[in-house]
Amino acid sequence: MNRARYCLLGYGLAVLAISFIHQPLWLALGLLTAVLAAGPARWSLLRRALLALLLFNASVSLAYALLAGWRGQPVWAPLLLINLRVLLLVFLGFWLVDRVRLLDALRGWPLLSMVTTLTLGQIAVYRCLLDDFRAAFRSRNPLPPRPVTVLRHAGAQGGALMEKALHGAEQAAQAMRSRGSFDG
Amino acid sequence: MHIPDGFLSPQTWLPAWGVAAAAWTWAGRGLARRLDETLVPRLAMLTALAYALGLIMLPLPGGTSGHALGVAVLALVFGVRLAFLAYSGVLLLQALLFGAGGITALGVNALALGLVGALVTVGLYRLLARFGEALAVTVAAFVSLQVSALIVALVLGLQPTIARREDGTPLFFPLGLEITVPAVLLPHLLIGVGEAALTLFVWRLARRKGWVAT
Repeated sequence: MNRARYCLLGYGLAVLAISFIHQPLWLALGLLTAVLAAGPARWSLLRRALLALLLFNASVSLAYALLAGWRGQPVWAPLLLINLRVLLLVFLGFWLVDRVRLLDALRGWPLLSMVTTLTLGQIAVYRCLLDDFRAAFRSRNPLPPRPVTVLRHAGAQGGALMEKALHGAEQAAQAMRSRGSFDG
Repeated sequence: MHIPDGFLSPQTWLPAWGVAAAAWTWAGRGLARRLDETLVPRLAMLTALAYALGLIMLPLPGGTSGHALGVAVLALVFGVRLAFLAYSGVLLLQALLFGAGGITALGVNALALGLVGALVTVGLYRLLARFGEALAVTVAAFVSLQVSALIVALVLGLQPTIARREDGTPLFFPLGLEITVPAVLLPHLLIGVGEAALTLFVWRLARRKGWVAT
Protein backbone atom coordinates (compact mmCIF):
# COMPACT_ATOMS: atom_id res chain seq x y z
CA MET A 1 0.00 0.00 0.00
CA ASN A 2 1.45 3.39 -0.99
CA ARG A 3 1.54 6.53 1.13
CA ALA A 4 -1.49 8.00 -0.63
CA ARG A 5 -3.56 4.94 0.25
CA TYR A 6 -2.47 5.19 3.91
CA CYS A 7 -3.55 8.83 3.92
CA LEU A 8 -6.89 7.88 2.34
CA LEU A 9 -7.41 5.15 4.95
CA GLY A 10 -6.49 7.53 7.79
CA TYR A 11 -8.87 10.12 6.39
CA GLY A 12 -11.68 7.55 6.19
CA LEU A 13 -11.15 6.48 9.80
CA ALA A 14 -11.03 10.10 10.97
CA VAL A 15 -14.29 10.88 9.17
CA LEU A 16 -15.92 7.85 10.79
CA ALA A 17 -14.71 8.84 14.26
CA ILE A 18 -15.83 12.46 13.86
CA SER A 19 -19.36 11.31 13.03
CA PHE A 20 -19.62 9.70 16.46
CA ILE A 21 -18.27 12.67 18.45
CA HIS A 22 -21.02 14.90 19.82
CA GLN A 23 -19.02 17.14 22.18
CA PRO A 24 -18.06 20.52 20.69
CA LEU A 25 -14.92 20.63 22.85
CA TRP A 26 -13.54 17.42 21.33
CA LEU A 27 -14.36 18.59 17.82
CA ALA A 28 -12.65 21.93 18.50
CA LEU A 29 -9.59 20.09 19.78
CA GLY A 30 -9.63 17.88 16.69
CA LEU A 31 -9.83 20.94 14.46
CA LEU A 32 -6.98 22.64 16.33
CA THR A 33 -4.83 19.52 16.03
CA ALA A 34 -5.55 19.20 12.31
CA VAL A 35 -4.79 22.90 11.69
CA LEU A 36 -1.51 22.67 13.60
CA ALA A 37 -0.52 19.45 11.83
CA ALA A 38 -1.34 20.78 8.36
CA GLY A 39 1.93 22.69 8.12
CA PRO A 40 2.50 25.88 6.11
CA ALA A 41 -0.67 25.35 4.04
CA ARG A 42 -2.86 25.48 7.16
CA TRP A 43 -4.24 29.01 6.73
CA SER A 44 -5.06 28.68 3.06
CA LEU A 45 -6.73 25.31 3.75
CA LEU A 46 -8.71 26.80 6.62
CA ARG A 47 -9.75 29.79 4.50
CA ARG A 48 -10.87 27.48 1.68
CA ALA A 49 -12.81 25.29 4.11
CA LEU A 50 -14.52 28.31 5.68
CA LEU A 51 -15.45 29.74 2.29
CA ALA A 52 -16.75 26.36 1.07
CA LEU A 53 -19.14 25.93 3.96
CA LEU A 54 -19.95 29.56 4.69
CA LEU A 55 -22.97 29.95 2.44
CA PHE A 56 -24.49 26.55 3.21
CA ASN A 57 -23.99 26.66 6.93
CA ALA A 58 -24.93 30.31 7.25
CA SER A 59 -28.32 29.68 5.62
CA VAL A 60 -28.99 26.55 7.66
CA SER A 61 -27.74 28.12 10.91
CA LEU A 62 -29.87 31.22 10.41
CA ALA A 63 -32.97 29.17 9.61
CA TYR A 64 -32.40 26.98 12.68
CA ALA A 65 -31.65 29.94 14.96
CA LEU A 66 -34.93 31.61 13.95
CA LEU A 67 -36.93 28.41 14.34
CA ALA A 68 -35.37 27.29 17.64
CA GLY A 69 -35.57 30.82 19.08
CA TRP A 70 -39.25 30.99 18.16
CA ARG A 71 -39.89 27.58 19.76
CA GLY A 72 -37.80 28.40 22.84
CA GLN A 73 -35.28 25.61 22.16
CA PRO A 74 -31.49 25.82 22.69
CA VAL A 75 -29.88 27.64 19.77
CA TRP A 76 -26.13 27.99 20.25
CA ALA A 77 -25.06 24.53 21.47
CA PRO A 78 -26.49 22.58 18.48
CA LEU A 79 -25.22 25.18 16.01
CA LEU A 80 -21.72 25.11 17.51
CA LEU A 81 -21.65 21.31 17.34
CA ILE A 82 -22.90 21.12 13.75
CA ASN A 83 -20.69 23.89 12.40
CA LEU A 84 -17.55 22.60 14.11
CA ARG A 85 -18.15 19.11 12.75
CA VAL A 86 -18.73 20.36 9.22
CA LEU A 87 -15.65 22.61 9.34
CA LEU A 88 -13.44 19.79 10.61
CA LEU A 89 -14.68 17.38 7.92
CA VAL A 90 -14.23 19.88 5.09
CA PHE A 91 -10.78 20.88 6.38
CA LEU A 92 -9.68 17.23 6.49
CA GLY A 93 -10.93 16.70 2.94
CA PHE A 94 -8.97 19.68 1.61
CA TRP A 95 -5.90 18.64 3.60
CA LEU A 96 -6.06 15.15 2.08
CA VAL A 97 -6.23 16.51 -1.47
CA ASP A 98 -3.42 18.95 -0.68
CA ARG A 99 -1.15 16.21 0.66
CA VAL A 100 -1.79 13.35 -1.75
CA ARG A 101 -2.36 12.98 -5.46
CA LEU A 102 -5.93 11.81 -5.84
CA LEU A 103 -4.98 9.44 -8.65
CA ASP A 104 -2.30 7.76 -6.48
CA ALA A 105 -4.87 7.16 -3.78
CA LEU A 106 -7.32 5.71 -6.30
CA ARG A 107 -4.72 3.35 -7.80
CA GLY A 108 -6.10 -0.18 -7.50
CA TRP A 109 -9.58 0.86 -8.67
CA PRO A 110 -8.95 1.00 -12.45
CA LEU A 111 -12.44 2.09 -13.47
CA LEU A 112 -12.59 4.88 -10.91
CA SER A 113 -9.07 5.98 -11.83
CA MET A 114 -9.98 6.10 -15.51
CA VAL A 115 -13.17 8.13 -15.00
CA THR A 116 -11.34 10.47 -12.61
CA THR A 117 -8.41 10.95 -15.04
CA LEU A 118 -10.71 11.80 -17.91
CA THR A 119 -12.95 14.05 -15.83
CA LEU A 120 -9.98 15.98 -14.42
CA GLY A 121 -8.61 16.37 -17.94
CA GLN A 122 -11.96 17.56 -19.22
CA ILE A 123 -12.32 20.07 -16.41
CA ALA A 124 -9.01 21.64 -17.48
CA VAL A 125 -10.14 21.65 -21.13
CA TYR A 126 -13.48 23.28 -20.22
CA ARG A 127 -11.77 25.93 -18.12
CA CYS A 128 -9.47 26.96 -21.00
CA LEU A 129 -12.29 26.92 -23.55
CA LEU A 130 -14.64 28.97 -21.39
CA ASP A 131 -11.96 31.59 -20.81
CA ASP A 132 -11.32 31.77 -24.58
CA PHE A 133 -15.02 32.10 -25.39
CA ARG A 134 -15.60 34.73 -22.73
CA ALA A 135 -12.71 36.83 -24.01
CA ALA A 136 -13.88 36.46 -27.63
CA PHE A 137 -17.46 37.45 -26.73
CA ARG A 138 -16.27 40.53 -24.84
CA SER A 139 -14.06 41.64 -27.73
CA ARG A 140 -17.01 41.42 -30.14
CA ASN A 141 -19.35 43.39 -27.87
CA PRO A 142 -17.88 46.74 -26.85
CA LEU A 143 -21.32 47.70 -25.49
CA PRO A 144 -23.17 45.49 -22.97
CA PRO A 145 -25.01 42.84 -25.06
CA ARG A 146 -28.78 42.46 -24.96
CA PRO A 147 -30.17 39.36 -23.20
CA VAL A 148 -31.25 37.88 -26.56
CA THR A 149 -27.70 38.23 -27.87
CA VAL A 150 -26.30 36.59 -24.75
CA LEU A 151 -28.78 33.73 -25.08
CA ARG A 152 -28.02 33.22 -28.77
CA HIS A 153 -24.30 33.31 -28.07
CA ALA A 154 -24.69 30.83 -25.22
CA GLY A 155 -26.57 28.37 -27.43
CA ALA A 156 -24.11 28.60 -30.33
CA GLN A 157 -21.04 28.48 -28.12
CA GLY A 158 -22.50 25.63 -26.05
CA GLY A 159 -22.51 23.43 -29.12
CA ALA A 160 -19.04 24.57 -30.19
CA LEU A 161 -17.74 24.09 -26.66
CA MET A 162 -18.88 20.50 -26.62
CA GLU A 163 -17.37 19.83 -30.05
CA LYS A 164 -14.03 21.16 -28.89
CA ALA A 165 -14.26 19.37 -25.56
CA LEU A 166 -15.04 16.13 -27.36
CA HIS A 167 -12.04 16.64 -29.59
CA GLY A 168 -9.85 17.13 -26.52
CA ALA A 169 -11.28 14.04 -24.86
CA GLU A 170 -10.75 11.98 -28.02
CA GLN A 171 -7.10 12.96 -28.01
CA ALA A 172 -6.85 11.98 -24.33
CA ALA A 173 -8.54 8.64 -25.07
CA GLN A 174 -6.18 7.97 -27.99
CA ALA A 175 -3.23 8.71 -25.71
CA MET A 176 -4.65 6.28 -23.16
CA ARG A 177 -5.22 3.68 -25.89
CA SER A 178 -1.60 3.97 -27.00
CA ARG A 179 -0.53 3.35 -23.39
CA GLY A 180 -2.67 0.22 -23.12
CA SER A 181 -5.42 1.63 -20.87
CA PHE A 182 -8.18 -0.22 -22.75
CA ASP A 183 -6.32 -3.52 -23.08
CA GLY A 184 -7.49 -6.61 -21.27
CA MET B 1 -28.59 19.74 -4.68
CA HIS B 2 -26.11 17.48 -2.98
CA ILE B 3 -25.96 17.24 0.79
CA PRO B 4 -22.80 18.72 2.40
CA ASP B 5 -20.46 16.85 4.73
CA GLY B 6 -21.40 16.57 8.40
CA PHE B 7 -25.15 17.01 7.96
CA LEU B 8 -26.00 13.30 8.02
CA SER B 9 -25.95 11.01 11.05
CA PRO B 10 -23.89 7.80 10.86
CA GLN B 11 -27.20 5.92 11.18
CA THR B 12 -27.96 7.38 7.74
CA TRP B 13 -24.66 7.64 5.91
CA LEU B 14 -23.14 4.28 6.87
CA PRO B 15 -26.06 2.17 5.51
CA ALA B 16 -26.25 4.48 2.49
CA TRP B 17 -22.57 3.83 1.76
CA GLY B 18 -23.28 0.09 2.00
CA VAL B 19 -26.16 0.29 -0.48
CA ALA B 20 -24.16 2.60 -2.76
CA ALA B 21 -21.17 0.21 -2.70
CA ALA B 22 -23.44 -2.64 -3.80
CA ALA B 23 -24.90 -0.40 -6.52
CA TRP B 24 -21.42 0.65 -7.71
CA THR B 25 -20.43 -3.01 -7.94
CA TRP B 26 -23.55 -3.75 -9.98
CA ALA B 27 -23.00 -0.74 -12.21
CA GLY B 28 -19.32 -1.49 -12.76
CA ARG B 29 -19.78 -5.15 -13.67
CA GLY B 30 -18.78 -5.81 -17.26
CA LEU B 31 -18.22 -2.13 -17.84
CA ALA B 32 -14.55 -2.42 -18.79
CA ARG B 33 -15.66 -4.24 -21.95
CA ARG B 34 -17.97 -1.36 -22.94
CA LEU B 35 -15.43 1.38 -22.44
CA ASP B 36 -13.37 2.03 -25.52
CA GLU B 37 -11.78 5.00 -27.21
CA THR B 38 -15.07 6.07 -28.82
CA LEU B 39 -17.30 5.88 -25.74
CA VAL B 40 -14.80 7.22 -23.20
CA PRO B 41 -14.37 10.71 -24.73
CA ARG B 42 -18.15 11.20 -24.90
CA LEU B 43 -18.50 10.03 -21.33
CA ALA B 44 -15.68 12.33 -20.19
CA MET B 45 -17.20 15.29 -22.00
CA LEU B 46 -20.69 14.91 -20.55
CA THR B 47 -19.32 13.99 -17.12
CA ALA B 48 -17.32 17.22 -17.11
CA LEU B 49 -20.49 19.07 -18.15
CA ALA B 50 -22.31 17.57 -15.14
CA TYR B 51 -19.36 18.59 -12.97
CA ALA B 52 -19.52 22.18 -14.23
CA LEU B 53 -23.31 22.37 -13.76
CA GLY B 54 -23.00 21.17 -10.19
CA LEU B 55 -20.66 23.99 -9.29
CA ILE B 56 -23.09 26.75 -10.34
CA MET B 57 -25.17 26.48 -7.20
CA LEU B 58 -27.40 28.51 -4.96
CA PRO B 59 -27.44 27.58 -1.25
CA LEU B 60 -30.94 26.80 0.02
CA PRO B 61 -32.06 27.09 3.66
CA GLY B 62 -33.19 23.47 3.43
CA GLY B 63 -29.58 22.35 3.91
CA THR B 64 -28.60 21.78 0.33
CA SER B 65 -28.03 23.76 -2.85
CA GLY B 66 -30.03 24.45 -5.97
CA HIS B 67 -28.40 23.59 -9.28
CA ALA B 68 -28.87 21.58 -12.45
CA LEU B 69 -27.42 18.05 -12.39
CA GLY B 70 -26.76 16.77 -15.88
CA VAL B 71 -27.69 13.25 -14.72
CA ALA B 72 -30.60 13.06 -17.15
CA VAL B 73 -28.27 13.71 -20.10
CA LEU B 74 -25.84 11.06 -18.90
CA ALA B 75 -28.65 8.55 -18.40
CA LEU B 76 -30.25 9.16 -21.80
CA VAL B 77 -26.97 8.96 -23.67
CA PHE B 78 -25.15 6.20 -21.76
CA GLY B 79 -27.81 4.31 -19.80
CA VAL B 80 -28.42 4.02 -16.05
CA ARG B 81 -25.31 2.13 -14.95
CA LEU B 82 -22.76 4.30 -16.66
CA ALA B 83 -24.61 7.50 -15.68
CA PHE B 84 -24.64 6.41 -12.05
CA LEU B 85 -20.92 5.61 -12.03
CA ALA B 86 -19.97 8.79 -13.88
CA TYR B 87 -22.06 10.99 -11.61
CA SER B 88 -20.59 9.31 -8.53
CA GLY B 89 -17.17 10.36 -9.85
CA VAL B 90 -18.46 13.91 -10.28
CA LEU B 91 -19.69 13.95 -6.67
CA LEU B 92 -16.36 12.62 -5.40
CA LEU B 93 -14.39 15.30 -7.24
CA GLN B 94 -16.73 18.10 -6.18
CA ALA B 95 -16.46 16.96 -2.56
CA LEU B 96 -12.68 16.68 -2.48
CA LEU B 97 -11.75 19.64 -4.68
CA PHE B 98 -14.41 22.17 -3.70
CA GLY B 99 -15.98 20.92 -0.46
CA ALA B 100 -19.32 20.74 -2.32
CA GLY B 101 -21.09 17.69 -1.01
CA GLY B 102 -18.89 15.43 1.04
CA ILE B 103 -17.46 12.02 1.72
CA THR B 104 -19.96 11.13 4.45
CA ALA B 105 -22.83 12.22 2.21
CA LEU B 106 -21.42 10.60 -0.93
CA GLY B 107 -23.49 7.42 -0.61
CA VAL B 108 -26.80 9.26 -0.17
CA ASN B 109 -25.94 11.80 -2.87
CA ALA B 110 -24.88 9.14 -5.35
CA LEU B 111 -28.01 7.07 -4.74
CA ALA B 112 -30.48 9.99 -4.73
CA LEU B 113 -29.00 12.01 -7.56
CA GLY B 114 -27.03 9.49 -9.62
CA LEU B 115 -28.97 6.24 -9.37
CA VAL B 116 -32.56 7.36 -8.75
CA GLY B 117 -32.13 10.34 -11.10
CA ALA B 118 -30.90 8.09 -13.89
CA LEU B 119 -33.53 5.39 -13.27
CA VAL B 120 -36.42 7.88 -13.29
CA THR B 121 -35.08 9.57 -16.42
CA VAL B 122 -34.72 6.38 -18.44
CA GLY B 123 -37.98 4.89 -17.11
CA LEU B 124 -40.03 7.99 -17.93
CA TYR B 125 -38.34 8.45 -21.28
CA ARG B 126 -39.26 4.90 -22.33
CA LEU B 127 -42.79 5.35 -21.04
CA LEU B 128 -43.37 8.65 -22.83
CA ALA B 129 -41.32 8.15 -26.03
CA ARG B 130 -44.45 7.23 -28.02
CA PHE B 131 -45.83 10.76 -27.42
CA GLY B 132 -42.77 12.35 -29.00
CA GLU B 133 -39.12 12.15 -28.09
CA ALA B 134 -38.68 15.83 -27.27
CA LEU B 135 -41.61 15.69 -24.85
CA ALA B 136 -40.30 12.48 -23.30
CA VAL B 137 -36.81 13.92 -22.78
CA THR B 138 -38.13 17.17 -21.31
CA VAL B 139 -40.58 15.53 -18.90
CA ALA B 140 -38.09 12.83 -17.89
CA ALA B 141 -35.38 15.39 -17.09
CA PHE B 142 -37.77 17.64 -15.16
CA VAL B 143 -39.39 14.88 -13.11
CA SER B 144 -36.11 13.08 -12.35
CA LEU B 145 -34.72 16.29 -10.83
CA GLN B 146 -37.83 16.69 -8.66
CA VAL B 147 -37.68 13.08 -7.45
CA SER B 148 -33.99 13.43 -6.54
CA ALA B 149 -34.73 16.73 -4.78
CA LEU B 150 -37.57 15.12 -2.83
CA ILE B 151 -35.34 12.27 -1.63
CA VAL B 152 -32.62 14.71 -0.55
CA ALA B 153 -35.22 16.81 1.31
CA LEU B 154 -36.66 13.74 3.04
CA VAL B 155 -33.25 12.40 4.11
CA LEU B 156 -32.22 15.80 5.49
CA GLY B 157 -35.56 16.47 7.16
CA LEU B 158 -35.48 13.14 8.98
CA GLN B 159 -32.10 13.85 10.63
CA PRO B 160 -33.50 15.67 13.70
CA THR B 161 -35.72 12.62 14.31
CA ILE B 162 -32.98 10.04 13.71
CA ALA B 163 -30.18 11.61 15.75
CA ARG B 164 -30.85 13.90 18.72
CA ARG B 165 -29.91 14.29 22.37
CA GLU B 166 -32.23 13.27 25.18
CA ASP B 167 -33.43 16.88 25.48
CA GLY B 168 -34.44 16.81 21.81
CA THR B 169 -31.68 19.05 20.43
CA PRO B 170 -30.38 17.83 17.07
CA LEU B 171 -26.93 16.27 16.69
CA PHE B 172 -26.68 16.64 12.93
CA PHE B 173 -28.80 18.52 10.39
CA PRO B 174 -31.22 20.51 12.57
CA LEU B 175 -34.25 21.33 10.39
CA GLY B 176 -37.26 19.04 10.03
CA LEU B 177 -39.34 17.95 7.06
CA GLU B 178 -41.69 20.94 7.38
CA ILE B 179 -38.72 23.15 6.37
CA THR B 180 -36.65 20.93 4.08
CA VAL B 181 -39.37 19.73 1.73
CA PRO B 182 -40.62 23.17 0.61
CA ALA B 183 -37.17 24.78 0.85
CA VAL B 184 -35.60 22.20 -1.45
CA LEU B 185 -38.51 21.38 -3.75
CA LEU B 186 -39.84 24.85 -4.61
CA PRO B 187 -36.59 26.25 -6.11
CA HIS B 188 -36.05 22.98 -7.95
CA LEU B 189 -39.35 23.43 -9.79
CA LEU B 190 -37.70 26.40 -11.50
CA ILE B 191 -34.29 24.74 -11.82
CA GLY B 192 -36.04 21.72 -13.36
CA VAL B 193 -37.15 23.86 -16.31
CA GLY B 194 -33.51 24.78 -16.98
CA GLU B 195 -32.41 21.18 -16.50
CA ALA B 196 -35.07 20.00 -18.98
CA ALA B 197 -34.07 22.61 -21.60
CA LEU B 198 -30.38 21.79 -21.22
CA THR B 199 -31.04 18.06 -21.40
CA LEU B 200 -33.06 18.49 -24.59
CA PHE B 201 -30.30 20.62 -26.14
CA VAL B 202 -27.53 18.13 -25.38
CA TRP B 203 -29.68 15.12 -26.17
CA ARG B 204 -30.48 16.52 -29.64
CA LEU B 205 -26.77 17.06 -30.24
CA ALA B 206 -26.03 13.50 -29.09
CA ARG B 207 -28.87 12.17 -31.23
CA ARG B 208 -27.50 13.90 -34.34
CA LYS B 209 -24.16 12.27 -33.69
CA GLY B 210 -25.66 8.83 -33.14
CA TRP B 211 -24.52 8.47 -29.53
CA VAL B 212 -27.88 7.77 -27.89
CA ALA B 213 -28.10 4.38 -26.20
CA THR B 214 -31.69 4.40 -24.83
